[in-house]
Amino acid sequence: MVDQLPNLGREKEMLVAMGMSSMDDLFADIPTAVRMKGDLPLRNPQSEEEIIADARRILGANVALGDRVNFLGAGLNRNYVPASVFQLITRGEFLTSYTPYQPEVSQGMLQAMWEFQTLISELVGLEVANLSVYDGSTAAAEAITCAVRIHNRKAEQKDTIYISELVPPSRQSVIYNYTQGGGIQIKTLKHNSDGTLDLESLAEAAGSCGVYVEQPNPLGILDGGLTRVKEIIGEGTAFIVGVAPTSLGMIEAPGNYGADIVVGEGQALGSPITYGGPLYGIFACTKAYLRQMPGRIVGRSIDVDGKEAFCLTLSTREQHIRRHRATSNICTNETLIALMGAMHMSLLGPEGLEKLARRNMAACHLAKQKLSEIPTIAVPHLNNSHYNEFVVELPGNASDCIAYLDTQGLIGGFDLSAWYPRRGNWLLVSFNDQTKATEIELLAAHLAVWSASLTQGVSA
Amino acid sequence: MSHLFEHNGADGKGYSQPEPIISTDNLQIPSSLTRKNLPRWPRISEPEMVRHYTWLSTRNFGIDTGFYPLGSCTMKHNPRINEVIAQLPGIADIHPLQPDHQIQGTLAIFHEMQEMLGICAGMDAVTLQPVAGAQGEFTAIRCIQEYFRSRGELQRTKVIVPDSAHGTNPASAAMAGFEIVEIPSQEDGRIDLSALRAVVGDDTAAMMITNPSTLGVFEPEIAEAAAIVHAAGGQMYYDGANFNAILGLTSPGLMGFDAVHYNLHKTFSQPHGGGGPGSGPIGVKSHLAEYLPGPIVKRRPILSEDRLTAVNQEWWYHWQQPANSIGKVQQWHGNSGAVVRSWAFYRRYGKDLKTMSEHAVLNANYLRHKIMEEAEKSGVSHLFNDGAPADVVKHEFTLSFAAMKEEKGIGAMDIAKGLLDKGYMAPTVYFPLIVPECMMIEPTETESKEVLDEFAEKFVEVLHEDAEVLHNAPVTTNVRRVDEVYAARNLTLAYPFDE
Repeated sequence: MVDQLPNLGREKEMLVAMGMSSMDDLFADIPTAVRMKGDLPLRNPQSEEEIIADARRILGANVALGDRVNFLGAGLNRNYVPASVFQLITRGEFLTSYTPYQPEVSQGMLQAMWEFQTLISELVGLEVANLSVYDGSTAAAEAITCAVRIHNRKAEQKDTIYISELVPPSRQSVIYNYTQGGGIQIKTLKHNSDGTLDLESLAEAAGSCGVYVEQPNPLGILDGGLTRVKEIIGEGTAFIVGVAPTSLGMIEAPGNYGADIVVGEGQALGSPITYGGPLYGIFACTKAYLRQMPGRIVGRSIDVDGKEAFCLTLSTREQHIRRHRATSNICTNETLIALMGAMHMSLLGPEGLEKLARRNMAACHLAKQKLSEIPTIAVPHLNNSHYNEFVVELPGNASDCIAYLDTQGLIGGFDLSAWYPRRGNWLLVSFNDQTKATEIELLAAHLAVWSASLTQGVSA
Repeated sequence: MSHLFEHNGADGKGYSQPEPIISTDNLQIPSSLTRKNLPRWPRISEPEMVRHYTWLSTRNFGIDTGFYPLGSCTMKHNPRINEVIAQLPGIADIHPLQPDHQIQGTLAIFHEMQEMLGICAGMDAVTLQPVAGAQGEFTAIRCIQEYFRSRGELQRTKVIVPDSAHGTNPASAAMAGFEIVEIPSQEDGRIDLSALRAVVGDDTAAMMITNPSTLGVFEPEIAEAAAIVHAAGGQMYYDGANFNAILGLTSPGLMGFDAVHYNLHKTFSQPHGGGGPGSGPIGVKSHLAEYLPGPIVKRRPILSEDRLTAVNQEWWYHWQQPANSIGKVQQWHGNSGAVVRSWAFYRRYGKDLKTMSEHAVLNANYLRHKIMEEAEKSGVSHLFNDGAPADVVKHEFTLSFAAMKEEKGIGAMDIAKGLLDKGYMAPTVYFPLIVPECMMIEPTETESKEVLDEFAEKFVEVLHEDAEVLHNAPVTTNVRRVDEVYAARNLTLAYPFDE
């Protein structure tokens, strides 16, 4: 028996009021030929108590990251999120509201999202931010189509965008799906052997509609060369940077080194990983790109009494008004997760953000020191600065190493051959504000044992 | 009025963090990358921050606050156990790159959801990856596009949408590179088969349509429409925005559709969260299954070596990439948190999802009847019409206030604002575009008869108000009518620190 329906048992009364006699009368308009025969072949309804028991049992079969010593990141991070964030978003006024189309009764969410826009704009150093897209990958894809709309008319290389060859295939696939319909060509940019962007070949991208690179890049490298990209590609080509937002407590905001659009995976600010969703995509740009921006934007206004008030603005870019000529099809976005982000950012404050970045950097730095001391493995980009993660080159397959670490109770990192097939020996290890020195020592010890057993096996 | 950015306490105010695990003095960050100025974020303590956001929440209207009859959005109650489940570490604290043997529980839930959604819609294969309805539409249209490419039917460049369609339909098809052909609806809002016949051809890739239509009326000729599109070699796409009306009663599969998206945030109670997150899985018939974004969850009978990490004694679950997958539309596996919430919702109903839909339709028809009855009783029934005349509606209905606008100068928006003063969220206004001065009302199955009775009374009270009163409404809300033109002309999209 289901328990969420207030009118169960009162059907007759309501039907009679309408001059009907049975529930079937309500569906008389569905032709017999398309009617479903019999019951849905599904299980019986459960009570709340049975559901939570099943959920605990089923989800309890998973290995949570917190159950293990964890070095898996690859762009998602298990940052600490303050308890008040989780408490506050259970407020039903936030949780159960729809898009604020009636501003008079939605000032709370509108103001919170206007503040979110401000927090993001300040974080990345650009004038405007929207109130989120789905995730970091769709943010990158939408930035690319936005750049083409802005620059295509004058571009020498029409419908062409250059992206870093290191962008993971899963992110490239999203970009392809979002851009192929517009006939946009995606070309790739080369990297030097130390993992930094090859600035000489970047010159090819001048005259195209845009360049998309990431800072830190997918190998965790902080690339100082990116501060020279804008001068190389010029005004007529959009410079799009994907960021790890917590890094911006120490690392220069891309808006201050020429970025026209900054995107990124917002998750580390405010949200658990939740198996990769819901997350939220950051999208910010200069004013020149504003009218081609995807997604919703809140503006400050006044009400009829002249009192400060907020409302959605520039809606004529959006699908519900512009239909097939809209800047994007996005409608539902990730507002509640962005709200969690705003709460986390508020509590951090400027100095808290810097400290969070320092903690992430410190863990990564200590790990690099410790792992580079192991003679049987290498850290190929040792001389670069890293944020959150770096590559370890193993004497054997990364997949074997991860399987070994799994038997020792460690979630050991990410096998980079899944992204770069020629790199079967590359393990991407990730560290964050929660990483302890003892955990790094444990990883180092296990890697030393595993790699030594392998190299001894080879020499014997 | 309180602004977050007016909280500017001492440096480092906020919440305290442990020190970095080693000194960060010698990190050797390239000097060009060293941040010169920190963001102008607030400096606010937890007590102040909690109060700020709690205060903001009191200035926002949700389903928990009151009746939310927002047509097309299915604003039903969001069971709280779903929120508790979504915070369990077995979903909140797992990573999409963990190997299958560490996530058997999640895979089992995904599998159950794929199966259930397939059954409800009469589809053969389901992916949970799209994260919103619009993305589901886009994903399905991409699958259809690849299906035709693989068959060499490159001339199929057009997607047909009725003029009553949701804006996302044409926007999603255009993003995939299709040309949009809009066909007019009949006067009663139903599909015009002769208009459809006139536009189909060997350039037709698909038709996108929702049923019940955006006017809340079931399209009795949907099977004929499907036959016309199929005869021309095109595919039928079902916009699942209105799926709440038909579970267990009919299905897109029975109607002749090839692909469908689901809105888990409408039909399956994922909270709307002020605009998201949602979840927009798609289901397809077998001929499209190989193009789905991947991977999707499959299962095989359990083997002896699986036992230690298995979630049950019968099945082993694993990810599998469809043969000719379009790839990814979100980098990971979609909005898994929303999928788990919706799974908990599904478990609550099971096969009684049919009862859920029956009650959604019962409530919509009852409310429509009550509004008409109250209006007639008090002599204002001439001020509005049915958006689509029909004996019965499905989960929602439309009213046109063209007559009222003409006679009293009061439009649908004025009535909406008047309803805010009665303590209700306003219904959807000015959609669908084909109904003049349209108001679209969807009560959902989780509202009691008393709420519906009272709303009908208050609704008619609003119709009795003077034009002056309604033009001036709302007067009881936190702010009064907001000047949207001012917002667009004086763009202030961030806190003006220098003001």
